[in-house]
Amino acid sequence: MNWSEEIRNGTIVATPRGRVDESTAQKFADDLAAGVGRAAEMPSKRLVLHLASIEYMSSRGLRALTLAKRKADAASVRIALAAPTDIMREILAISRYDKLFVVSDTIDGAL
Amino acid sequence: MIVRFWGTRGSLPVAQTARTIREKIARALVAAKGRSFADEAEADRFIGEELSFAAGSSYGGATTCIEIEAGDGSFILCDLGSGLREFGLDAMRRCAEGHERTYNVFMSHVHWDHIMGFPFFVPAFDPGARIVIHSGHADAEAALRRQQEEMSFPVAFDWLRAKIEFVTVTPGTVYSVGGVNVEVMAQHHSHVSYGYRFTDADGKTAIFSTDSEHKIEQMEGEADVAHFFRNADLVICDTMYSLADSVSMKEDWGHSSNIVAIDLCHEAEAKRLALFHHEPTYSDEDLERMHRESIRYEELTRRDHPLDVLCAYDGLEVVL
Repeated sequence: MNWSEEIRNGTIVATPRGRVDESTAQKFADDLAAGVGRAAEMPSKRLVLHLASIEYMSSRGLRALTLAKRKADAASVRIALAAPTDIMREILAISRYDKLFVVSDTIDGAL
Repeated sequence: MIVRFWGTRGSLPVAQTARTIREKIARALVAAKGRSFADEAEADRFIGEELSFAAGSSYGGATTCIEIEAGDGSFILCDLGSGLREFGLDAMRRCAEGHERTYNVFMSHVHWDHIMGFPFFVPAFDPGARIVIHSGHADAEAALRRQQEEMSFPVAFDWLRAKIEFVTVTPGTVYSVGGVNVEVMAQHHSHVSYGYRFTDADGKTAIFSTDSEHKIEQMEGEADVAHFFRNADLVICDTMYSLADSVSMKEDWGHSSNIVAIDLCHEAEAKRLALFHHEPTYSDEDLERMHRESIRYEELTRRDHPLDVLCAYDGLEVVL
């Protein structure tokens, strides 16, 4: 599981790559928490999580999203999910995580 | 080993209303498109082959009670929910045909929905019956006695005629009961709950793990749960809520989700999962949709070993 970030229009766009399961979820959670910390320092106070390169995400990864959202809420940072693959979109729907997070079709839509 | 589900609903018994039954009949008649059936057997084939489970049947509404047929011929039961009443009647029938009258019960915990069937358990009035209640809770006897105090029920616990014994079990110990090996695991739930791993002489293994919340702050501990589930032929798992509900509005209510159950079973390389402890507000259609989505999630996240995902219903029998 790899993690990269770029700044677009003053907002951090983070792109994780690979599978998020029990073997990679802790790294994903750590990267995500650090990303939230950096977003809290930005004027926009937003973090866009670009999901186009995530093969799949198990419950560990989804729950890491919840932990990150709690940290983000405490720091007044908004997390938005962008460009999920068809598989990720299905997983978000089955888990009902599409009710907990704003999901946009594109990065631009999330900015 | 045969596993029979006598009660599969969580928290509160559920009954079908007249309207629900009428809707099922109306949909079946529409689906039949004017066809005629020679007899009930032919109509039953139509229901089984051409109607969805939710349209032609029901998941039922009795609370937790599972029978495990294995070992030396005594009864093995998990929990004493309202499904126990129906089991008790069937057990009396079997005992009249010569079945042994020993009942080995294993309690997940003593919350109301898991003990409410006991005052209606006919074998408890059988002076020739022996009922051994195993629980991780030292206060299991107090819980059963309390619900038969005068303010709650007209028949006192001491009026029961069976020989009733209580055994407190400890996680980490392997017990041999009724010809079956039983391991115990503590689970996160209000007043604690316990999961059980049953292994028979043929090596068949069934896990009973209900009313267990897998805490979001303690995900590293799930490796222990996966180890407890390891290579099981059947895992009966609490899947009461969606994952989103279990980490938001219903966090700390002590229950789990279909998503976490599937992940744990994948990690454990278990063969079958029975979705269990159904949310009482869910209709048959809701449960069928949850089952369908669970099968799809299993496909999306499958690794080397496919997991057969069942949705438990009252009356389901699984042969391992």
